Amino acid sequence: MCGILYSFKLSIDRETKLSLYRRMVRIRTFENEARRLVGEGLIPARFGFYTGQEAVAVGVCAHLSPADEIGSTHRALGHLIAKGCDPRRLMAELCGRRAGLNGGKAGPYHVFDPSTGSLGANGIVGGSVPMVAGYALAHQIRGDGGVAVAFYGEGASNQGGVQETLNLAACWSLPMVFVCENSSPEVQRMLGHEIDYPQLNIEDVSVRSAAYGMPGSSHVGWDVEEVYAAAGASIRRAREGGGPTLLEFKVHQIEGNLEGRLEAREEERRWCPIADFREALTREGILTPEAEARMLDEEARMMREAAEFAMRSPPPEPREAFKGVFPEVG
Amino acid sequence: MALRTITFAEALNEAQRLEMRRDPEVIVFGENVTSSWRAATRGLKEEFGKERVRDAPITETAFIGAGVGAAILGLRPVVELMLVDFSLVAMDQILNQMAKTHYMSGESVRVPMTLRAIYGAGTSSGATHSESLQALFAHMPGLKVAVPSNPFDAKGLLTSSIRDDAPVIFMEHRLLYDMEGEVPEEAYAVPLGVANLVREGGDVTVVATGLMVGEAARAADDLRGEVGVEVVDPRTIVPLDEEAILSSIRRTGRLVVVDEDYERCGFSAEVAAIAAEKGFSHLEAPVARVATPNVPIPYSPALERHVLPNREKIVRTIRNVMH
Repeated sequence: MCGILYSFKLSIDRETKLSLYRRMVRIRTFENEARRLVGEGLIPARFGFYTGQEAVAVGVCAHLSPADEIGSTHRALGHLIAKGCDPRRLMAELCGRRAGLNGGKAGPYHVFDPSTGSLGANGIVGGSVPMVAGYALAHQIRGDGGVAVAFYGEGASNQGGVQETLNLAACWSLPMVFVCENSSPEVQRMLGHEIDYPQLNIEDVSVRSAAYGMPGSSHVGWDVEEVYAAAGASIRRAREGGGPTLLEFKVHQIEGNLEGRLEAREEERRWCPIADFREALTREGILTPEAEARMLDEEARMMREAAEFAMRSPPPEPREAFKGVFPEVG
Repeated sequence: MALRTITFAEALNEAQRLEMRRDPEVIVFGENVTSSWRAATRGLKEEFGKERVRDAPITETAFIGAGVGAAILGLRPVVELMLVDFSLVAMDQILNQMAKTHYMSGESVRVPMTLRAIYGAGTSSGATHSESLQALFAHMPGLKVAVPSNPFDAKGLLTSSIRDDAPVIFMEHRLLYDMEGEVPEEAYAVPLGVANLVREGGDVTVVATGLMVGEAARAADDLRGEVGVEVVDPRTIVPLDEEAILSSIRRTGRLVVVDEDYERCGFSAEVAAIAAEKGFSHLEAPVARVATPNVPIPYSPALERHVLPNREKIVRTIRNVMH
């Protein structure tokens, strides 16, 4: 790690550390609650979870306000919770209920929450990245200091639209950060299946930044302090008019890829950003077992309430299917 | 309103210029839009600056996607596709993101974006520089599709499209660019979804859009005294003024649909289906279509002329349905 990142890391205060930890726990707890509802058939879809990647969403989004946007992926729950989406309305959306963030029209792959700048999950691999350039363009034209962050995976990093957007962002010097979460650092996989031909013929996705004339770097994605430091520097640079950056974070999907279908290998369970950080915080005397237990309890209660809220909400009326193809006038 | 004669391209230019003056959220970008030889956007950069009017790299997916994103944040991007054929490399951003985001988001965001696309055959440009493709966009729920046929409508429909909160595909036939017509100096809106009755006639209804409206009107002139031809220009195919088409059929009892797009599953098929479903009892003859047959647009003028709909084919088809 270079000096500036190291000093950035050193400057993280107690309160921020606890908040980073809590947010990672929040994502994990939300997803576990969602897993339960999938298992019970109360969430009708199967989809990708974010377990093992929490440090990336949390470390990046800690630098963003609701006036900054993110674009996300198929594996969006971590990004959405980190960006501040209401767990109750997000859970209701997963359940396809009327009280969902999008009235049950979005589901896990298309959640949009403009109140938090979550715009949005996306069902097409790499599909949100060009749109994020548009959010950045709007900030640039308005001169409001806003920044937009594109989350995507290493598979999406090969998509033409992502490559085109790297070029466009560099040419227009957009206030944008590309965050590639590379979940195949050791094993080449597609949907959990080990593939014979690699998706990438490079070790580090971040080397592509040079091809487009922007800075880029690769980082450990299960160390929330490193994510926080790297993202902080890039987001500040974008905010100050310095243009885009490509950040790559190596991550491990420690609970497997698609719930109920695929299991992660045992050795991948070692890279848990939450367990690692808990150890560090305990060692530093920032987190006591009592405070930890209290936090887990509070988060678990919040997510149980989210599930209950979702279950209380009725499904949308059938006529809703025909509403909203075009905006209502006025 | 002060009328003067200007070209179709100048009318497009004026619509963008007046909307940019009126609303600072309107921005323009695309390939080469600041070039002095591009009549529809000429001079906009000089008036509004290079922040609001910019050339994009030749990456349709990235810059159309950027238009979608900017629109979601409340800007009103007018994005230009140099040719509609090039939309085919960017269909995810157009047919998924631009079209569906408003609906998928439970109406929590809007996409007030206009995608201007130059289209059409007749210049020996070959199969990937000559298409119409309106039906592709009209097929996908969530997109409005405007196809102006004259300078007055070009300005008024583009003004409406820019002001509309829905995404609009705005189709501009390349051979209409130099067409002259009377256009008011001021800004005005031609509403989307309201057809124009181009010619009145009692014997047959001809529905046509874009360049084909002129061909249909000339066919009507050729048949003057022989057949009373009513020409209906829907002006937008989404939303479609079905009532204007059906009420004309009720008067004439016959329908010919003219479309420069491919025939199969195209706009001409859609209008024929509407007539069959909602106007069948008024039809005195089978519906006939004059559309581009299901072949790629060929290069040689001899071949291109052979496949495209035109005035002569329309005249022939009208005579057929009259028998």
